[in-house]
Parts: sequence; C-alpha cells; structure tokens
Amino acid sequence: MKEYFRYFRWMYIILGTVVILYIFISVGHGVISGAANHQRTNTECTTDERVFDYGDVLTDEEEDSLRSLIAKREKQTGCDIVLITLKESLKDYAREIEPYVVYDEFVRIYAEEFYEEHNFGYDKPNGDGVLLVDNWFREDDGRIYTWFSTTGKVKEIYDAAEINHILDNVYRYVEHDPYRAYKTYVNDFYHDMMGTRLFTLYVPSWVPWVIGIISAVIFILCNVRSKRGRKTTTAATYVEGMEPEFKIRQDRFLRKSVVQRKIQTSSSSGGHSGGGGGGGGSHGGGGHSR
Amino acid sequence: MLFKCRNCGGNVVYEPGRRRMYCPHCEGEDSEDTIQGGSVTQCVNCGAPMETPAYASAGRCEHCGCYIVFNERVEGVYEPHLLLPFYINKDLAVGAMEAEFSKRVFTPSDFMSARSLEKMVGIYVPFWLYNYNARYDFAGEGTKIRSWTSGNTEYTETSYYEVVRRMELDFDRIPVDASYAMDDGIMDLMEPYSYRLLQDFEPKYMSGFYGEVYNQGAPELEGRAQVKARNASEELMQQSLSGYSTVRPYRKDLNLQRSGVKYALMPVWQYLYRYRGKTYQFHVNGQTGKVIGKTPVSIGKVFAYGASVFAIVTVICSFVVSVLEIL
Repeated sequence: MKEYFRYFRWMYIILGTVVILYIFISVGHGVISGAANHQRTNTECTTDERVFDYGDVLTDEEEDSLRSLIAKREKQTGCDIVLITLKESLKDYAREIEPYVVYDEFVRIYAEEFYEEHNFGYDKPNGDGVLLVDNWFREDDGRIYTWFSTTGKVKEIYDAAEINHILDNVYRYVEHDPYRAYKTYVNDFYHDMMGTRLFTLYVPSWVPWVIGIISAVIFILCNVRSKRGRKTTTAATYVEGMEPEFKIRQDRFLRKSVVQRKIQTSSSSGGHSGGGGGGGGSHGGGGHSR
Repeated sequence: MLFKCRNCGGNVVYEPGRRRMYCPHCEGEDSEDTIQGGSVTQCVNCGAPMETPAYASAGRCEHCGCYIVFNERVEGVYEPHLLLPFYINKDLAVGAMEAEFSKRVFTPSDFMSARSLEKMVGIYVPFWLYNYNARYDFAGEGTKIRSWTSGNTEYTETSYYEVVRRMELDFDRIPVDASYAMDDGIMDLMEPYSYRLLQDFEPKYMSGFYGEVYNQGAPELEGRAQVKARNASEELMQQSLSGYSTVRPYRKDLNLQRSGVKYALMPVWQYLYRYRGKTYQFHVNGQTGKVIGKTPVSIGKVFAYGASVFAIVTVICSFVVSVLEIL
C-alpha cells in the first residue's frame, strides 16, 4: 500500500485540490445565492400551484417537498418554476391548435398554452419562468415525450446544448425515481441561473468517464511493456580505431537526366455554409423522448 | 582450488569494490593462501561431496559455504587466456537493477525485495573473442535526386554516379558466449565490455563467484562471430553511401580472415526470479552495470493501478466539470 500511495501521491494531491476548490466554490455560490431574494411583481398569475402531478407519479409528500423547494428557488432565481406530469395523449389537443405538428412537439404546445393560460412569469404575465412537461403516456409512435419550456430571461440563457444537458440529467433518474428527476430539474435550473456563466460550454456527463477510460488504457499500455534491454553496441564498437579505413573511395559523375511534370491546377469549389435563424416566439425550449 | 586466509583461515574472495582479495571474516586484504586439490565432486575444504552443474568451473560448497575453483576446469585446454574481473559488486548490481526497474509499476511487489535479491549470484561466463581482418570491395551506381518547381512545372533532376569503395577494417575481439545456459540474445545485449581491464587469467579472481568452462569450442561458435562482423561491415559500408538517394550494387565482395581467437571469462551478475511457475532471468554486466531482463507483469497490479487511474481521473474530471457548471 505504501508503494501504491507513493506512486499515486500526485494524482491524489490534484484530486484533493479539485475537491477543495469545488467545496470552496459551492459554499461561495451558496452564500451568494442565499443572499438573493427577488420580489415577485406578477400579480396576474391565476394560480399559486407549481407542481401539477396529473400523471400521478409523485406521492403527496414528494409533491410538498418539491413545492417548498420551488418556492425557495423562485426567490433565488427570480423565475417561476413549474412542473407538470401527464399520462394522456396530447395528439388531438395539439393538432387542434397546430394541425400539422409532429409528435415530439405535442408537449411543446401543451407547455406554452399552459404557461400563457395561467399567466405564469415572475416579473409579469408570460414573463420570466420555466416549465417542464413530462408526459408519461406513450404516443402512437411508442415514445414518451418531455418538454422544457423557457420564457423571458430564461430563454436568453438556455441554448439547445444546455437544454439537452438539463433534460439528460432529468432522464438519468426519471424512470426509477421521478421525484429525484424533478428535484434535479429544479436544482439544475437554479445552478444554471445563478452561475456566473464564465463557462457556457456544455460538457456531456459521459465525457469524464471516457477521459477516465482513455487515461487508464494509455497508462496501462505505457507501463505494461517490458523490454529486455536495448542494444548499446554500434557497427564500429569492435573495429580497431573505431572506424574503417577506405583504401578506395570513388564517386564519379556519369550523367544527368531531368524530368518535367506539369502541375495540374484544379479550379477549387467552395462549400456553402448555412445558418439557421431562430423563431420569434415568446417561448423557447427543447424536448427529449424516451 | 581454495583461497584461505593466512590470518584467520576463512575463505578469501575477490572483492570488486576493493579491487583485491579480501577476507570477509577478519577483513584482511591480499591475505590468501592457495590450497590446491579437490575436484568438481568433492570440496577441497571440508571434503563433502559437491553437486556441480555440467560445465561449472567455480562454485560454492553447500556444506561449508566456501567458494571453490575447480582445477580441472581452469587448466590445460580449459585455461582461459583472459579474464575480466568483476568491477561492480553485488550492492551496485542491485542498485543498477533498482534504477532500471523502479519505474516499472506492474512488477510483482516482492520482485525487488531484499529477500529475493539475496539470490543474485556473480558468474564468470565463458566467451570466445574473435579477431578478423576484413576487406570489403563494393561497386555500384548511385543516384542523387533533387526537385524544384518553376511556374506550374515541377522538375526532377537525377544525377548518376559510379560508386566504388574498398574498405579495410580490423575487428578486435568480437565476443561470442560459449555457454548453453546463457541466452545468446541476452549475452549479445550485455555488450559492450571495456577490454581495457582485461587481464591474463588468474584463478583467484573467481573466488567468491560461480563460473563456467566453455561449453563449445571456438570453431563451433565462429559462425556467430562472422555474422556480427559481416553485419557491422555492411552497416559501415552503408554509412559511407549515405549521401545517395538510391544505390544499386554491381559488386559486393566481403572477405573475412580470422587473425586470432582467445578464450575469456566475462563477469555477469545473475538474478533468477520465479513468478507464477515461470523463471525470469535478469543479468547485470559485472563491469558496466548494464541491466538486461524482461520483468514479469502482475495482473492484479495492472487491474488495481489501471482502475485507480480510471477512478481518479474520472472523479477529477467530474469535479472540474461541476466547478465549470457552477461558474
């Protein structure tokens, strides 16, 4: 064990440093966010409820726990945080509003309609807030759809990669522990909103695992080799005087030939780069299916 | 033959660190008396029967612990012309191995333990040293190619040369081990020895070590020496042709003339390590300290260390990602 710890001491020192850094930043972040206390200015919201468990996937205790967590996070973030679970087909509902809408956007229509219908928004009706719709019903295509809808300042902060990130985190737990999944949604949203946003690069959760595997494979390959030894003699090692004697050393020019070749210049063709523009609606968001 | 201390009667051995005979019992130096007699089957000191390997020329009595040199294996046709005394002692040999293998993390834990290293022994390995006069005549056509571009045309110029060489060289004491027990590849990797310290044979240098008499004669092993000489000649000839892009030989004529051969004993520290039913051989050049040997790999350590790297790196990366997410 002594040999083991001596060998890995630097890695453990780095690990310790990173953990301390994490704790330090987390505590600092907690202190800052704890001090944040936004005053709600929207008086037209039709409900105080934030957890709509129509799908009945949560216990009453879990709902209450989520309600109190959301109440705290709303003050810290200055955003309405809404959670809806369903267990029904949204096909007819959505196609009545948008006749040609595709399956994965049924939940989007429901989320946006629900948000506007209840005048959600922390600062004003249809203002700052976020809403998660998780419909446990399998639509005709056999899939379950979830939508993360953003409005107001939240829409400015969340891009597609970050929406994927938060929904990935929700999906990590939702099947076997819905409460944990929705708690993750609330807490991740809080972290995303309270972050200083120095780094907005989205890092998928599997990246550390892949880096770990690659590091271990490289480490093993580099250390498992066991060469017998290397040759340390040269051709001249046993030659007296360490170099041969050339009695004749002749290099006589005979002839020369030159070959010409035309360089083919092909007319280059450039590629097109395209960019998509965003829509101009009041809601943003993205969805996942499982 | 036995070397006994005239002061205390202990067994005097050659001590590489002191470069002289030394009595480990009374710490006397050059205090040896030569006791003739004994044989490969009987200890000259205690008279106990000895079980010695087939080609042993020196060994240690298991009963009294004395180092014995077997007269009949170092005299007459078996008398070495030359001997290179051990230059580094066991401690230095162990140090050389530690320096070489300390960074090989997957070796078993007891690989370099003091208990295992106790088994390291010094052996005088029999070698034939061949001298050759070589003459290498070469003739061929060499080309030098250069390319350049002007406008949209690429030009390639090839110049042809008649290349003639006559190279003469004298090979001095090309070593070839004459021991069945020693792997030829390992003994080749042990080279080079510095011949500066070669001495005329004296049996006293073998006291304190094991030794072998040559297992095969010089004519039988000459093929290996010739291969070494031919390869070296070819390499030196190729070096003299290095300025050419290609060389097409017309004529290559290498003539080797043996100009002498000597029988010599060379010093090697040998460490045998058994792991999972297999014996791993490690050798340290008794003069230069060069270490040769392929270390065993502990599968348990591979998994333990690999898993540790995986776990630590993954956790570090996860924390870094978490920190970045908070920020």
